[in-house]
Amino acid sequence: MCCSSSIARDKATMGEPEAFDISAVKGMKFFDPHVHMTSRTTDDYQAMADAGVVALIEPAFWLGQPRTGLDSFRDYYSSLIGWERFRSSQFGIKHYCTIGLNSREANNESLAEQVMEILPLFIYKEGVVGIGEIGFDDQTAAEEKYYRLQLELAKEAGLPVQVHTPHRDKKKGTQRSMDIALEHGLDPYQVIIDHNNEETVKEVLDRGFFAAFTIYPFTKMGNERMVEIVKQYGAERIMVNSAADWGISDPLAVPKTAALMKMRGLSDQDIELVTYRNAITAFAQSGQIDEADFNAQADLTEKFEGNTILRGGQQPRPDKSSIIIS
Amino acid sequence: MNAVKEIIWSVINNNINLEAEKWLEDFKQSPDQSLQVAKVFVMLPRKTGKLSVAINEDQQKALDTAGYGYIRNWTIDRLSRVWLLSNLSLPDKEQLYSTLERLFLSAEVNEAVALYSALPFLPYPEIWVKRCAEGIRSNIGSVLEAIMENNPYPAAYLDEAAWNQLVLKAFFTEKNIKLIVGLDERANLQLALTLVDYAKERWAAGRQVNLQLWRMVGRFINAEIFEDLKIGLQHYDKTEQRAIALAVAESECQPAKDYINTFPELKLALADGSLNWNSL
Repeated sequence: MCCSSSIARDKATMGEPEAFDISAVKGMKFFDPHVHMTSRTTDDYQAMADAGVVALIEPAFWLGQPRTGLDSFRDYYSSLIGWERFRSSQFGIKHYCTIGLNSREANNESLAEQVMEILPLFIYKEGVVGIGEIGFDDQTAAEEKYYRLQLELAKEAGLPVQVHTPHRDKKKGTQRSMDIALEHGLDPYQVIIDHNNEETVKEVLDRGFFAAFTIYPFTKMGNERMVEIVKQYGAERIMVNSAADWGISDPLAVPKTAALMKMRGLSDQDIELVTYRNAITAFAQSGQIDEADFNAQADLTEKFEGNTILRGGQQPRPDKSSIIIS
Repeated sequence: MNAVKEIIWSVINNNINLEAEKWLEDFKQSPDQSLQVAKVFVMLPRKTGKLSVAINEDQQKALDTAGYGYIRNWTIDRLSRVWLLSNLSLPDKEQLYSTLERLFLSAEVNEAVALYSALPFLPYPEIWVKRCAEGIRSNIGSVLEAIMENNPYPAAYLDEAAWNQLVLKAFFTEKNIKLIVGLDERANLQLALTLVDYAKERWAAGRQVNLQLWRMVGRFINAEIFEDLKIGLQHYDKTEQRAIALAVAESECQPAKDYINTFPELKLALADGSLNWNSL
């Protein structure tokens, strides 16, 4: 999730783009455990599939601006387990999600109360692999209240928890998120602490939690820093994700980071753990992930409630280099 | 406030045509505003246009004296909307609140900017505190600027947690820190600790820190913060060193002051008085 930074985006300040060479990790499979596909295009799905992403998790989050009523939440949750899952399947990518009330909108307490009432309708649905992304943003009392309530929900349902840590006052916010999870009796091995950085990673790992890192331009981790972190802390319980959303973000962050790790000399085994296996280990505790499902070929003739992303007669992969659209 | 509203009306008058003036006057005189306010608020730019306001010297002087000189940078639709909101005559506090809340919930960007810009001009200032805190959660740059920059409302009414969030978010979203009203008056220990953590996080990521950050740290330097400042003084660039030195000069922490004196050029810069927050 991005901030509204005023970044000058003229070419002079951006520098020359470097081509992304996928060949370093050709044939590898990737799992992006945090990506907001409802904000992305079919081009992104195609590019992810081409780069080796075989499965992903879409956490429930906010939409860039606050919702004003319960039905918007209901429709959003339904889209995560419905239309979006179908869209993903059209590109051969297995789509999972986590369901929760995000921290920002927890601050609208009258609406938050209503959302809490409908959450149990969604968290037991097929392919829901956790409660998320929940946690702190401004670190207000209301955020804490709904974080705690949802931890209880996760415990009752036996689901992993995907914890969003705040941008601002991150270190304290991360510590507080972990303290509260432990206070509610959650096993740290069932809790994925997301959006880590150099200042938080050590404590998260030492206390037995999973540590996720978001590779996101400008505001979060860069993947060169990520390589250094894996060199320093090893690959155990570490995972990377793109958190690609409606901001300037990169849905290929996971395969790109894998390629960089390969070029910088990390072992294939460590790369696999960080960009694939650890996320599966963590979220498969939901009982909802079966790797055998990943290899399903995209069935482009399938329909969702009578709709298809392929309009009549359209070819599955349009030729993007052609000026003719036919 | 009434005197200010009069100057604002005179500015608006000079910047709109007769038809628009009559339209606004008609609304002001209308017996039941609650039925029309939403429509008038939303369609206002169609009547006033959206140009930047022109302000004459007398008006500017009067606004500067009253502390509202910054509206010279507004557009006419923003100023007219703020005037409209600050002159509503509705039966009671509850009706005013629910009327504006409805406008907030369906606001597009320019409307939101006008609504948040109006906060310092509204009656019953205490009822807008939650709305203001909610506005700080926005991700839209111009909305944040309307709350953070040149707006006296937040410093006057937000509680400490929401205020600290505003300042932190201003750093994160690269707003002009110098334009935050009440920055020095509302500095506090909790904010200082959080900002130092933020600086450490930036250093760890190989990034620079906005120098104005140290302005909110100085008065709260204790043994713990001093240890962190040492890292900055030892590893980072000359301008950042100077900002930290300036913060230390404002503190009561003698070991930190002694430490600064071990850097001859910092000691000299502090002694000759050439360092200040605006020159950094």
